[in-house]
Amino acid sequence: MSALLELANDIESTQIGTAIAESRYAFPIIEGVHLVALSISVGLIFLTDLRLIGVLLRHVPVIDVLRHLRLYVLGGFLVVFVTGGLLFWAEAVAVVESPATPFKFAFILLAGLNATYFELVVAKRPEIAASRGTLPLSARFAGYASLSLWTLVIIFGRLIAYVPHWS
Amino acid sequence: MSIDALLTQIEGTGASHWIAKANHLFMAGLQVVHVIGFILLLASLLLISLRLLGLVFTSQAIPQVARGTTRLLWLGLALAVISGAIMFIGAPKHYFYNPAFGTKMLLLAVSVIVQATLFARVALSEEPHPVLARVGVGLALAFWFAVSLAGRAIGFV
Repeated sequence: MSALLELANDIESTQIGTAIAESRYAFPIIEGVHLVALSISVGLIFLTDLRLIGVLLRHVPVIDVLRHLRLYVLGGFLVVFVTGGLLFWAEAVAVVESPATPFKFAFILLAGLNATYFELVVAKRPEIAASRGTLPLSARFAGYASLSLWTLVIIFGRLIAYVPHWS
Repeated sequence: MSIDALLTQIEGTGASHWIAKANHLFMAGLQVVHVIGFILLLASLLLISLRLLGLVFTSQAIPQVARGTTRLLWLGLALAVISGAIMFIGAPKHYFYNPAFGTKMLLLAVSVIVQATLFARVALSEEPHPVLARVGVGLALAFWFAVSLAGRAIGFV
């Protein structure tokens, strides 16, 4: 843990890390872009999940929902990760010290695994391609899981600033 | 009654005191609701806009895509407004006299008007006039994203 803390300190002490942290505008702008980009990526994922559980866009085939939105979801995530990386660069120690951080990233990982499993396995099944009426349980489960996991990511992401230390 | 007097009154209420003294995690919770609200709003707006521009779900009629999604958009706004109102009541003068907050409220009013008029009009037509559709999309996206930028500025002005 101490080695990680030292590494975090080294990262945030670099020229770029310091520049972002000390700049009046850089940090808030980067954080703002982080939030807008996640509105796009996580937001469109929420809409996809609502399709999977059958409460939204019921007339749109699931394959179309996945395919047409993919570009914007992935593009949004790219921006989220780049801005997230910059925010970490500026505040590495605070991030490493907060108990909320491991939970946030664990839930991101689980959400990613859920999405990957859904796309590679579940979405290829013929019942999903047919997309008629209520989707099979596997699809609905993926939808509920995704909604829950991304909500937890948002919650723990916000808690990083509010729970700075373990004790 | 002057605005300042009204703010003083709000500040003096039990609700305001309760919110101001509340646990930090309560504030964090309000912010999470606020974020989820505007995520639902912006994503719904984006989806309908993409359809209006003919970029997604072109085999579905525009009103079909827009109807349920529009309800989600207003739900997102409701969550954001309610959580925002609670935050405001906890520190009315702090927010009211913050220039970023005032700007945000103004932009919010314009966004809601654009959303309820021009955007609603094009989103509910089977074949909206292409120029009107593009103007509607452009204005709605510009103003709603401006609201979020102003919102971000609140903590830093």
